[in-house]
Amino acid sequence: MKTPFITCVAAIVRKDLRAEIRSRELLSVMGLFALLSVLLFSFALELDRQAREEVVSGVLWVTLIFASLLGLNRSMALERDQGGLDAILAAPVSRAAIFVGKLLGNFVFTGIVGFVLLPLMTALYGMNLLRAPLILTTIIGLFGFATVGTLLATLTVQTRAREALLPIAMLPIVLPFVLTAVRATKAILSGAAANEWQSALGMLAAITLIYFLLCLLLYEYVVGE
Amino acid sequence: MGEIKALAQEDLRLETSVPPRLLRLLSLVTVLGFGGTLFLGLRAAGTDIQQGEIQRIFYIHMPSFFGAFTAFGLTVVGGALYLARGSEKWDRIALAGVEVGLAFSLINLLTGSIWARPIWNTWWTWDPRLTSAAIMCLTYAAYLMLRAGIDDRMRRRAFMSVYGILAFVTVLITLFIIRVVPETIHPVIVGASPQNAQGGFEATSGVVTALIPSLLLWLTLLPITLMWHRVRLEERLDALDRLKMRVLSE
Amino acid sequence: MRMTKASARTGLLLLALTAGLLSAQDGERGSTPYFQSRAFNVPILEGWDDQSGEDFAQFHQAEARATIRTAIAPAAEALDAAGAELSATFGFDLDPPVYQGRVNLADGTWHTLVYDIDAETTASVMARQDGGRGVVISFVERDAAARTLMLTIAQADDSLADASPEIAIALESLAGLSLSELQRADSQTLPSGEWTVYAGESVMAMGMIFGNDAYVALQMGEAGDLAALAEAYNRTLLGFFITPDNSQYLALGLAVVFVILAALVGSLYWREKNVQKDLALLRELAREDE
Repeated sequence: MKTPFITCVAAIVRKDLRAEIRSRELLSVMGLFALLSVLLFSFALELDRQAREEVVSGVLWVTLIFASLLGLNRSMALERDQGGLDAILAAPVSRAAIFVGKLLGNFVFTGIVGFVLLPLMTALYGMNLLRAPLILTTIIGLFGFATVGTLLATLTVQTRAREALLPIAMLPIVLPFVLTAVRATKAILSGAAANEWQSALGMLAAITLIYFLLCLLLYEYVVGE
Repeated sequence: MGEIKALAQEDLRLETSVPPRLLRLLSLVTVLGFGGTLFLGLRAAGTDIQQGEIQRIFYIHMPSFFGAFTAFGLTVVGGALYLARGSEKWDRIALAGVEVGLAFSLINLLTGSIWARPIWNTWWTWDPRLTSAAIMCLTYAAYLMLRAGIDDRMRRRAFMSVYGILAFVTVLITLFIIRVVPETIHPVIVGASPQNAQGGFEATSGVVTALIPSLLLWLTLLPITLMWHRVRLEERLDALDRLKMRVLSE
Repeated sequence: MRMTKASARTGLLLLALTAGLLSAQDGERGSTPYFQSRAFNVPILEGWDDQSGEDFAQFHQAEARATIRTAIAPAAEALDAAGAELSATFGFDLDPPVYQGRVNLADGTWHTLVYDIDAETTASVMARQDGGRGVVISFVERDAAARTLMLTIAQADDSLADASPEIAIALESLAGLSLSELQRADSQTLPSGEWTVYAGESVMAMGMIFGNDAYVALQMGEAGDLAALAEAYNRTLLGFFITPDNSQYLALGLAVVFVILAALVGSLYWREKNVQKDLALLRELAREDE
């Protein structure tokens, strides 16, 4: 007998969030990483005002990707060390529900980093990043990262090299998200006409949907029997 | 007794190192065809008077990308069928597709770079299309690394089927990137060239007659023949592994 | 048996393809027919007699007794090449040029020279250094009734789209006339561009801007078809280019293709050999066990 889908998903998300709230390990690491990354970029690139405007979307998305990678690896390692995944897998739960549950958990964590990052960059770079379309782009992009990331982290955590392989496996696959998200962000920040960023955002949403369905389908082969 | 029988069976499978007749025939046709397309591209087609001799590299550059497309496409098919049917032969096809496709995309990347030196006056530029082609190569290199990192056989096959399917996205991006990011300087020979393209040439009848045979060869014969040889090698490697296990466990 | 049949069929297919290919025109480029030699390419002048050889392009127009010739002369200096071309090929006794200048075009620095050879002959030459040789494009006109000169002058003010200042310079130095002695006529649109035209008593001057240079044509005496001559010469000048010699890059590219394919096939072969080696080893082990 199987537990209803929604109940399963909710239970997994609740478990992950509760564990996180108790330890605060993941969030503090990711948050600190995001802050360091933004500062590092602004020193490394010696950003003056004009240069900042040109590279801000790149800085934003590169930071988001690496924060996601960090979070995904950490969350999978915790799961493995505490044997949480095996326990869930042993339960009569559909693999799709596990995927969606893990995905939502990862998405919430990376999402929080994203929403620390946007005001942080707004303050540090003196540009308003807190605009509705940009927030929407960030949400969709991060959801895309979490989708592919959840699948690939589950896969790489079972390999010999573990953490080292996730970036190598994931970075090329998330390229379409980065491409379209950076394009949309650039158009939004430069104050271009709405249809310019809308087309990029639409493409981002379409890619995210395709990946979501694909990963949902493939997840059961990655968690094993 | 039964043990020895099984051993003999594996032994027999390993003994037949001579490829089947159809494969030998295919190999011969492929080699002849490759020679033929080289002749068409290097001798029969006229020299492009603006770009000079280097333009002939195009008859390999563009077809090799499509050869990689076929090989990586077969990796997707093999991966999906492995996941659906669970027969290891599909995984062997997927692996063969990655190795052959990677070699082809390296050819594509390097010939492009060598062409760019005299025409664009640089070996490499961070053009969207060049960048995504390079990322495509890296993705499949990552496939091989990932594959080597998984010890458990069943798990390896399933994981790599999944990754082989996902990795194909980078192939599609390389193909369609000029629609997403139109600021490429990479020329398009068939169809409308992007505004900023540099180093394009007209697809005259000479170009087309040298290109089409080469394209057909790289799309079909070349990847299929090489992949078949690779699949056979993998079969023999698997059989050898099983034999080893049996001998060592005795 | 089956093998030979198949290879015969493949051979036939390749033969058919090759035949189809060879019938296609070599090196065609858009709609412009080009004279091609190993050293350079120039457009073929339609309506002119083609007297080209293997290494030089030469076109003659009988009515105006004009010849346009493009050739390579082995010389260390562009000016020497121009001199050699006129004295050796055309057999002219050269006095110092009546006009001499230099222009920087996209493919290098060209010298522009104008000579009065004798009562009926003038020669206008563009010459450029290319490696250890000189490229010379000459316009020679032997019409007794007219003196026709062609020259290229760098624009003094490159914001102008009109060649009038350069026409004035040419008139002054070659005909001793000032521009005000001529009347401005309607400008002419030719395939090479928009030409500014001035006409006076038995003098005609035309000029066109291309890039930052003015291409000027003068004709004194009985007015012939100056526009056609100027167009033909400019077509040659602007259409001239040297096919880059990059066959070493092609060789490099082919080498890379072969190395990669050989590495792929070689690795298949090497791994196959290892399988056989392991197999032999296993057999030995099995035999020892027995």
